[in-house]
Amino acid sequence: MMRTLVLTPDFPPAPGGIQHLVHRTVSHAPGLECRIVTLDTPGAEEFDRAGALDVRRLPQLPAPRPVSALALNGAAVAQALAFRPRVVLSAHTVMSPGASLIRRALGVPVVQYFHGKEIGVRPRLAGFAARNADACIAVSRYTKDLVAQAGGDREKIHLIHPGVDLPNGVAAEPAERPTVLTIARMEDRYKGHDVMVRAMSLVAARIPGAQWVVIGDGPLRAAIAELACSSGIGEDVIRFLGAVSDAERDAWLDRAHVFSMPSRMPAGGYVGEGFGIVYLEANAHRCPVVAGGVGGAVDAVLDGETGLLVDPEDHISVGNALVELLQNTAQRHAMGEAGARRAEEFAWPRTAERVARLVTEIAASSAPRR
Amino acid sequence: MCKALHHRGPDEEGTYLSPNGDVALGARRLSIIDLEDGHQPRPNEDRTVWVAFNGEIYNHPAIRERLKGRGHVLQGLSDTEILPHLYEDYGEDLVHVVEGMFALAIWDSQRERLLLARDRFGEKPLFYVRRGKDLLFASELTALVDGLGAKPDIDPAALDAFFVLGYVPGAGSILEGVRQVPPGHLLVWDRASGALTERRYWSPPAPVTELKESPRELAAEAGRLLERSIRGRLIADVPLGVFLSGGVDSTVIAAIAARHSSKPLKTFTVGYEASDGTHDERTASREMAALIGSEHRDIAMSSEEAATRVPALLSTLDQPLADSAVVPLHSVAEFARDEVTVAIGGEGADELFGGYPRYSWLGRAPQSFGQNGGVGALVRNLVPRAKSTSPRFLRAFDLAVPRPIPERHLDWVTAGRRHERAGLYGPRLLGALAEDRVLADLERDFEESRSYSVPGSLMRLDQLYWLPDDVLVKADRAGMLASLEVRTPYLQRELAEFATSVAPSTHLAGGGKQLLRLLLSDLLPNAPRRRKVAFLPPIDEWLRGPLGALMESQIARGSLYSEGWVRADVASHLLGEHRRGEADRSPVLWPLLAGGLWLDRFRGVEPG
Repeated sequence: MMRTLVLTPDFPPAPGGIQHLVHRTVSHAPGLECRIVTLDTPGAEEFDRAGALDVRRLPQLPAPRPVSALALNGAAVAQALAFRPRVVLSAHTVMSPGASLIRRALGVPVVQYFHGKEIGVRPRLAGFAARNADACIAVSRYTKDLVAQAGGDREKIHLIHPGVDLPNGVAAEPAERPTVLTIARMEDRYKGHDVMVRAMSLVAARIPGAQWVVIGDGPLRAAIAELACSSGIGEDVIRFLGAVSDAERDAWLDRAHVFSMPSRMPAGGYVGEGFGIVYLEANAHRCPVVAGGVGGAVDAVLDGETGLLVDPEDHISVGNALVELLQNTAQRHAMGEAGARRAEEFAWPRTAERVARLVTEIAASSAPRR
Repeated sequence: MCKALHHRGPDEEGTYLSPNGDVALGARRLSIIDLEDGHQPRPNEDRTVWVAFNGEIYNHPAIRERLKGRGHVLQGLSDTEILPHLYEDYGEDLVHVVEGMFALAIWDSQRERLLLARDRFGEKPLFYVRRGKDLLFASELTALVDGLGAKPDIDPAALDAFFVLGYVPGAGSILEGVRQVPPGHLLVWDRASGALTERRYWSPPAPVTELKESPRELAAEAGRLLERSIRGRLIADVPLGVFLSGGVDSTVIAAIAARHSSKPLKTFTVGYEASDGTHDERTASREMAALIGSEHRDIAMSSEEAATRVPALLSTLDQPLADSAVVPLHSVAEFARDEVTVAIGGEGADELFGGYPRYSWLGRAPQSFGQNGGVGALVRNLVPRAKSTSPRFLRAFDLAVPRPIPERHLDWVTAGRRHERAGLYGPRLLGALAEDRVLADLERDFEESRSYSVPGSLMRLDQLYWLPDDVLVKADRAGMLASLEVRTPYLQRELAEFATSVAPSTHLAGGGKQLLRLLLSDLLPNAPRRRKVAFLPPIDEWLRGPLGALMESQIARGSLYSEGWVRADVASHLLGEHRRGEADRSPVLWPLLAGGLWLDRFRGVEPG
């Protein structure tokens, strides 16, 4: 077994995409003996006990996140001295200073994960992380380009798309009303809730009874609700469900006829959708998707096969795609089936295997200095 | 009716008459896109749907491609041509597809229904009258009146509102029984029953608060949307320019437009030759034009020129308008018309991005216990009576006294004109004075927006009234009277929706229009920073000089006085005070002049 030190500020039971990705990777990676160094979070003790994983948690400091991250980097170095790993997997660029120190001091190779948004937030740190790693993992071609722009060596960047959980159990019945579903935190404008509101007035005009179900909460919710009101779209067309349980979320993925999240490229050099795992999750539930043809989504969605890629800034494009899929049952089912098959390719055991293979290769190719 | 619209469309005229002769559409055209084949009214493939259209649809190329993809047969390139086909697909919901400024009429001969719709912000006018079961409509009041036979009466309440506000607000008009389709509304007339239904399809979203994005991030988003908007508005088959004032709004537009023009951008500015030199934006504009690299032209307007321009202009407007900025705007429109047919302006930026300092000041002023007495009443009585104290001092003094916000807001934007009415109004306006709808309407609207912050409420009120009924009337009429189309990139749906989703406090930080200022510093890092100065025409000088005589003959012979709307003796007294330099009475005299010239023209009397 390859001793692997996994460094991440984000780990379940805290919710979120990176948390989920790291958890599934360490749970399914064959041949790796992982020790996870992360921050404490409410409910962690119970979670760790049930999961039979080797998790070392640094108590959350009553301090801003950068201070916690700094302390976590220190804890990482201490754990490296105790654990003597053969390889370090840094799941977030904020862990790269600690990973880099371990690499220099102990000669342990480092694999650095890149997701997308964090590169835009701290481009210089991303460049540092890429230069001080033996290999990088990018979740999409878009993320790979961002890492390269930040100063990463393209030769060292490996493309491994995130994995998806396949649904288990009996699927819920489709909704009676033509239903469009969006699942996203209502925090970043680039997710395109605004364009969806505009598109829905066109959908409602052409498909009587159509509804848009919105799962997720956040500071933008009030503005999106005002926008709907100003465009004359009533609560009979838009249903804001807020944050819901995983079970309810899964049930809506079964019920919905189309999943839509027209993420666009934000202006001013900010980073858009790194990959968009939620598109594959929708596909896994046999739900075709509508996505913006920019950023990481072009890897997550095969245009015309598992969904439709559209101009995410143009509500007419989005509206037309939704109408097309809602009206055309055969096309919708074909895309749903193709999406479900594709989701299987991305199912977690397989994705974790890809990560494990890379980590093992990197560890093997650098002889231990001891 | 069409002849009265000649200035709106000098290039062409067309009409449609239904087979049984009881439905008619007429249109005049100013050719801007598809010069050869933009005839109106325009039918669909089987000639069952007919469209008359005024304005521009900026996203028409994309719509056209989609319509063709769905099997529609389109031959020309004009934006009007897409409308009957779009109507076939979406019905009245086509308003959710089109982006632009418009007034449109669509006759569906099969369902025997007429759709009237006006753009979201009210950039293009659309008036109508019910006559029993019949409906008459037109793009301008003048044309509509031509079609009515007998002229309707003046609506005293509207004239009262005009005197207080300087414009005719809301869905009515200066004429009794004549209404406007409000901005963002559509109207459906059913021929068989004569029933008329009105529906709002859009309004500016209400302001929200508490978002976590940084001003830089928000400025970037504003820039993305503005660039999209400008690109759409640069499409024209005729020469095009930008009105440049040297301020933030128009400079941002010109800088972006210059990046997207294949030829050097043309920019235009008007200044005034005033004695103290305070009314001139030509210097600032030249500096900005040099930074942008535009082909810049400017003109100066003298008092003498103003005197010759004002009577014709103010009397020709279809509704009275006392915004003195219409005079220089018309002048620069005529000046620019020699070189361009389309001009881009910065209208809407102040209302959407928080450009008026009063949004902040009024929000901070005390509000309670001032309504019916005490110091508040004292100040209200003193302010209009003060003769030589500076307005700046009076405003600072006024801020210290507790008063309800709607009242204070109204007095600020109108220089307290409503307090002059009691002495000034003649018998025909006394009823309206007793009713005093202006303040009551404002209080009602303010009450409805109570849940927002004070600046948020004020910005919203401006978006709903001042913007469509003053700012955009001014831009449209000043442009159209010179046969020049004014396009307004700030008034784009997505951009406006974005602007209203940003907390007013973010807009107002650092003196207002924070996002546009950040955008400008990105676009032109070397642009000098200036304090906001409103360059209004020197109407006080004009009224002491050449326009004083015109005003005097108005008071002596004008319909406004002879018909008993306004007391000639009081007006004459105020004019005397003003001309002798004892007090600046221009805030009262200018609406009287504008209203008087308009009324004379309406009555068919030689103005003045």
